[in-house]
Amino acid sequence: METCKADIDVTQIAPTPETEMKLIAAARDGDRQAYQQLYKSYAGRVYALCYRLTADRGLAEDATQEVFIQLWQKLSNFSGQSRFTTWLHSVTANITLSYMRKQKGWFARMMNIEDSIAEQSTAESCTSEVDLEALILRLPERARVVFVLHAIEGHRHEEIGRMLNMATGSSKAQFHRAKQLLKTWMGYDDGDI
Amino acid sequence: METFEKHLEQQLNALPRERQPDKDLWQGIDLAIQARSDAPQTKRQPVWLASAAVLMVAVIIGFMMQPFSSAPETDPLTGQSLVKALSQQHEKEKSALLVSLEDTPAVTGNWQEQLTELEDAAEAIKAALQEDPNNTALLRMLQSVYQQQFLLIERVHAPKWQQI
Repeated sequence: METCKADIDVTQIAPTPETEMKLIAAARDGDRQAYQQLYKSYAGRVYALCYRLTADRGLAEDATQEVFIQLWQKLSNFSGQSRFTTWLHSVTANITLSYMRKQKGWFARMMNIEDSIAEQSTAESCTSEVDLEALILRLPERARVVFVLHAIEGHRHEEIGRMLNMATGSSKAQFHRAKQLLKTWMGYDDGDI
Repeated sequence: METFEKHLEQQLNALPRERQPDKDLWQGIDLAIQARSDAPQTKRQPVWLASAAVLMVAVIIGFMMQPFSSAPETDPLTGQSLVKALSQQHEKEKSALLVSLEDTPAVTGNWQEQLTELEDAAEAIKAALQEDPNNTALLRMLQSVYQQQFLLIERVHAPKWQQI
């Protein structure tokens, strides 16, 4: 299995809710040190989501930077009615999707990425030892994005449809497609539940 | 044998919440937010202002495509040559924009100081690029600062009703 920093638990200690609100308030007032603290606390979460959506480390790093650059200006929109991490995940998903749309034409041509390539991937030989993270990254882009937003981030298909400018039914269809591919790659037969 | 649905659910629950990037991204973020206003903005910018940013993205993509699409005898644009070409293109576009807005009154008095700050930020990034010419994060920061210059020029020359 590929070794990367993600395999090591380097989780930053999340600030307490009180500290978090103080950091947000200070950052809103232009305190870059406070904002750096927020970055240190949440860069891992943001990057994880960016990486799952883009399936590319370089793009995920760029998208993470884009998220924190835009977040600096969006902090005043955080009302405090939901948890900061909930709001952060939603903002991250939207900014990353927008970033991917801008990059897609160039990136797809350069890397010659086609959905069909992913579908041709072979099944895993073992069903118990599965690296789901790696399999998710192999999914075709639309199926992957819908799967990440629904199965991992917990968005409803109606929300995903709005985020991706697609019909709710299309979101459900892409999710089904993702699951079917994962099922095959995880070594299950079509008839298995 | 466990079912696929159960297996998938177990695997999903076991996914890590966090994943650290391979490099520290803070420096680039800090540079970009310094290049913007001192404090986060609360007003939404008009959608039409994005046109300048789109233009710059197209320029960047054009340059980035060049090594792959140009004739074999053409030297690819990378590193310092890319920065130089990008800067020249930006200056050309900026001059054309400023000329086109010459007769339009600016809505703020200190916009040229703000523009100078953004130009200083661009110079700082270009200096950093001299040390590390192929750093894509820095290239994107430079692109971002150039976009900010266009947005600033357009915003201060926009009619007041468009600034709400």
